[in-house]
Amino acid sequence: MEVLGLFRNIETAAEGVNNLLGENIPEDTVTSLSSVPIPKGTVIKRDHSAWFQWVTLAGGVIGAAAGFLLAAGTAMLYPLYTGDKPIISMFPVGIITYEFAMLFAIIGTIAGMLFQMRLPCFSKKAYDPEITTGMIGISVICDTEQERDKISGILDRSGAVRIRTDEEVK
Amino acid sequence: MPEEEGLKQKNIQEMNEKMLSSIRPPTGKWVFLAVVLGAITGWAAYAWWVQLSTGLVVAGINRPVMWGFYIINFVFWVGLSHSGTMVSGILRLSKANWRRPILRAAEAMTVFAISVAAMFPLIHIGRTWKAYYLIPLPNSMGLWPNFRSPLLWDLTAINTYILGSSLFLFLGMLPDLAVVRDRSVGIKKKIYTVLAMGWRGTDREWSLYGKASTIMAALIVPVAVSVHSIVSWDFAMTLVPGWHSTIFAPYFVSGAMFSGVAAVITLMVILRKAFHLEHHLREEHFDNMGKLLLVISLVWSYLYFAEVLTIWYGHKPIEWEVFIFTADRYSFLLGLMVLGNAFITIPALCFRRVRRSVTVMLFISILVNVCMFTERFLIIVPPLSHRNVPFMWGNYSPSWVELSITAGALAGFALMYTMFAKFFPIVSLTDVREGLEMKKKLKIGRSTVNARIEGE
Repeated sequence: MEVLGLFRNIETAAEGVNNLLGENIPEDTVTSLSSVPIPKGTVIKRDHSAWFQWVTLAGGVIGAAAGFLLAAGTAMLYPLYTGDKPIISMFPVGIITYEFAMLFAIIGTIAGMLFQMRLPCFSKKAYDPEITTGMIGISVICDTEQERDKISGILDRSGAVRIRTDEEVK
Repeated sequence: MPEEEGLKQKNIQEMNEKMLSSIRPPTGKWVFLAVVLGAITGWAAYAWWVQLSTGLVVAGINRPVMWGFYIINFVFWVGLSHSGTMVSGILRLSKANWRRPILRAAEAMTVFAISVAAMFPLIHIGRTWKAYYLIPLPNSMGLWPNFRSPLLWDLTAINTYILGSSLFLFLGMLPDLAVVRDRSVGIKKKIYTVLAMGWRGTDREWSLYGKASTIMAALIVPVAVSVHSIVSWDFAMTLVPGWHSTIFAPYFVSGAMFSGVAAVITLMVILRKAFHLEHHLREEHFDNMGKLLLVISLVWSYLYFAEVLTIWYGHKPIEWEVFIFTADRYSFLLGLMVLGNAFITIPALCFRRVRRSVTVMLFISILVNVCMFTERFLIIVPPLSHRNVPFMWGNYSPSWVELSITAGALAGFALMYTMFAKFFPIVSLTDVREGLEMKKKLKIGRSTVNARIEGE
């Protein structure tokens, strides 16, 4: 279950988060929702370490291998003898290797980012379109209806202008 | 306090409304423009069909000038595509705050310009249905592309750039697509819901999004440089006098950036007027883009001077012959190129008043691109007309088919851009709003300062 409280500004949203933490709601269940990035620590202090850059690197390595195999493999399979020049010409192979490495690294970045963001996600989650008009959402994950009611109460007392749950969205 | 917050929310709503005005239902003017552009593109498609059914004989290309308007257009459009993503990438990496309103226009320009560019090799080869020979596919004839050829490097680089710049554009649009999704209804809402992929703007999403944007910007800049370097190597790897030069790669890259930045300025003026974005595309943006154009113009002029100086000083008979032929036969075009790209642009852009005048900047940006198209012509046609063997010297002038396809490329680009602006936010809403948030005032001691994030 997910409860979403809508706040008019960062200050009241931060106050809401403080009140939630004060009532022993674990911080890793609390998330902020906003239409522009909020400086780290102003509402949620949790750090989101990214690992998707390793997917970028892996994409680059796989791409380099694919490019090398394509260009060098082609030369090996369909040899063109030109004077005393080597069959595998390093500069052209290097260029194809580079282009493939960059392409796969780019694809890896996007795929890795989306994977770590857990997108695409089309299941209904607690959300309010008012967030795109500048409101700040504070969303809390909970397990039971009692917890949901408790969290709703805290958010309400903290000045949330509206409270929604994922059940309502569904 | 609640009234103040309500006012702030209303302002944001108005801003969203204003910046998303381009995606309102089409007006009569828009439909008329789309029909005109579609008609010109259709005429170009007809011209191409004539070439496909008759053969390359309908084009002006001949022996020895086997590369004509199609390759000129290819180089020109690759050049235009260059700056969009590259400028966007560099400005993102350098965290230049003024970049925000122009990012989307620049990134979209790249995707459409490189798509137009990619059409020209297909048109140029004549038998377009044989284009699959370029792709490494097993076939009964035992043919396989020869990766020693720069043309194959080009194919690989352009595909990388098309995919890379499309993903870069999509990444930048992701939060804005969520905004559009939240304001849409019916079938539109369904489409934008799929495109927005379930983006909610959580702190986790924003954190990862910021890191991914930086990585993508760092990856796309070297790809952009490589693409135009490889286009230059299509020429420089040959032994044609006037082409076989080590300076070609940086010269082409600077030329591409030059025409690309000019094209971004042209689009800024058009978008500003068409969608009433005067509040977001301000004089300071034109001033900064003007400074960028000035610097690139200086670099281009320096590289051109270095190239000409080397040819003149070395005085190798065949290279000098090609140069003299160009200066004699194409003196008007050569003069236009040098004047437009250097002697008019550089002094004019030194003046702040010029850079801040939207009308003058529009004139300069169009002039630069006319001159850059001329430069592509002068790079390609004269050296082929006047190669090593005098009994093979010849001339070239484009046929109606080539001219029609050239006009169609411009119209097709404009049509794609117009359609894009109708369905997607043409100004990066999130980026602009983030910039405004950072301009909020903070009171520190006795002074009030901008609440800018470090590095901005």
